[in-house]
Amino acid sequence: MCRLALSLAIVLALATPAVADEAAEIVRDADRFRRPGDSFVWKITITSEEAKKAPTVDSFEVYVKGAGRSFVRFVAPPRNVGRSLLALGRDLWIYLPDAGKPVRIPFSQRLVGQVANGDIARADYTGDYDVTLIGDETVGGVACHVLELKARSKEITYAAVKYWVSKEGRRPVKAEFYAGTGTLHKTGVFANFKEVAGRVLATRLTLVDGIRKDRTSVLDYGEITVRDLPEKYFDKNFMKSLD
Amino acid sequence: MRRLAALAIVLGLVTPAGAQEPAGSGDWLEALRVRGRLAEAFAYRLHDPGDVAKLKTLGWLEGKYTFSETANLRLATRGAYDAVFDATDRYPANVEHDQKTELSLREAILTLRRDDLEVRLGRQQIVWGEAISTFVTDVVNPRDFREFVLPDFSELRIPIWALDVVYRLGPGLTLEAVWTPDTMHNRLPKQGAEFQFARIPFRFSNPVVRLPDNPDQFSLARSEGGARLSVLREGWDVALIYYDQADKSPVLFQRRVPQPPAPDVVVLEPRHPRLHVVGATLGKSVGEVVVRAEVAATIGKRYETIDLLDRDGVIRRDTIDYLVGVDYTFFGSLDTALQVTQKILTGSSTDITRPGVAGVVTTSVALRVTTGFLDNTLNPTVLVVVGADRGDVRVSPRLDWLVSGSVTVSVGADVFEGPERTLYGQFDRNDRVTLTTTWRF
Repeated sequence: MCRLALSLAIVLALATPAVADEAAEIVRDADRFRRPGDSFVWKITITSEEAKKAPTVDSFEVYVKGAGRSFVRFVAPPRNVGRSLLALGRDLWIYLPDAGKPVRIPFSQRLVGQVANGDIARADYTGDYDVTLIGDETVGGVACHVLELKARSKEITYAAVKYWVSKEGRRPVKAEFYAGTGTLHKTGVFANFKEVAGRVLATRLTLVDGIRKDRTSVLDYGEITVRDLPEKYFDKNFMKSLD
Repeated sequence: MRRLAALAIVLGLVTPAGAQEPAGSGDWLEALRVRGRLAEAFAYRLHDPGDVAKLKTLGWLEGKYTFSETANLRLATRGAYDAVFDATDRYPANVEHDQKTELSLREAILTLRRDDLEVRLGRQQIVWGEAISTFVTDVVNPRDFREFVLPDFSELRIPIWALDVVYRLGPGLTLEAVWTPDTMHNRLPKQGAEFQFARIPFRFSNPVVRLPDNPDQFSLARSEGGARLSVLREGWDVALIYYDQADKSPVLFQRRVPQPPAPDVVVLEPRHPRLHVVGATLGKSVGEVVVRAEVAATIGKRYETIDLLDRDGVIRRDTIDYLVGVDYTFFGSLDTALQVTQKILTGSSTDITRPGVAGVVTTSVALRVTTGFLDNTLNPTVLVVVGADRGDVRVSPRLDWLVSGSVTVSVGADVFEGPERTLYGQFDRNDRVTLTTTWRF
């Protein structure tokens, strides 16, 4: 009996990291559908809608290099032109023409509609969250792994994410984003998978408010250019001159 | 010879990189970006007398031409006409002459980049510091105080002709060097203006003559410059600064000119003593809180004294200014910024009567709260600043309505309270309500 318990303990001890590794691998694979390369530029249009209100459209150019480094230029509407965001790891700055200098802000601050700064300034979940595989579910007829992501630090946009990734091909399907209190912030659905720059990517993310279901923001990922970006795009001292 | 060397450096920066990445596809329009805005700003003064205080039409036009990835030219102008000077006769002619119309070049910058080096040459604003709405380490540009500190800081700063060189020494390590022969000083409101500063209460019984303050705008001998070393490590954003400059506010030096048999005439001569500013800034996110701090020691700072026995009426008090601020978003949508600022004189403050100096230590506390309604199209903000030593207060509530992507309407007020000779108390009777409509294109 004792030997059986010992064997079970050893098997469990060996199996747990393997399950954790598999979960992390699933998230890493799913992230590949959300970034076309190591260094790239893509144009994002966000259409925010709310019942009884005309939709608003905001456009951005997002410059990404490596993990956790991105520079976001506000392209439209005119009132936001001239602004930019810089994300370096877990630090975020906004450049406001009225202030004339970069100002540090939290990732969780709202950008437009249902979209937080971190939603466009961060292209992947690997590195930001500890991942646990918690089960299987079918979403819209697609068999999915269900993963629980817990933020590694308080600077991360969301305290927790429940993430559905298709078993076949490990594509991102759906995500629920939670606050530290456990409140559902919003739900995201990944769609419009297309081959871009030699890689299949999710080119649409629809975010729905956790409480007001009539509030939605659709992020459309448009033109993508994969190229090596200069280091100074990711230095706050150069934000003003990149406007 | 030196000019040739400079030209060679400039060409060296532009040509090879320009050859690598020529502008666009030959269509010069693609390389040109133009944008601008028009604003109509209305202010109504609430007391003594209640009347229109501003009816200003402003226009900004900016253009940027990108020659290549490594070179671009930016130009920006601002024009303004304030109809209040035609609508009322409350202001004297010198104020009308000073404030009724304006056409100024706000930006003319040639930017050249090569690898980790960027050179910005021309008329520009150079902004240092971590905090917003304060000037502790934002020391390079002079300021336009004709409307106190109420406009946006990018409008308050007066652009200067300067050479600004930024070099990336390595990941997270940047050195910036600034040099300018443009020694323009702060622009102060004329006597009789809406926001005229309280005058120094000199106690002379003799006749007084005040000389004009109009040194040359450009001077190689009085040129200014400094450097900033900024380091970003593990989220700690630290910068060290040094800047050598003339005091941008005039200091009134006194001398007595004998006029026998009449009493001596006291001559007040505005001068701009040399200052050395040494400082540091810090920015850091701690969990969901953003912490900012700035400190600046101003060596050589001089203040007027009302002590009749002082020979030149001016005393030196090296000054340390610092601030500590925290930003936090409550309930996911209430952005709050709290900032405590102190000015410390290295010596007695007796007989110094500047409104911004309450004693050896002058403390102020600022709180700004902002939120958004209706999908962030209706954004109320309130700014409260309290002079902790003498109880003077500024309260500025504002409601920004984003009517469309191009049009913003702002309704607000500026309320000042406090004793007469304090920073905000001096404008106790200048409380106003404002309405500004801005169209951007």
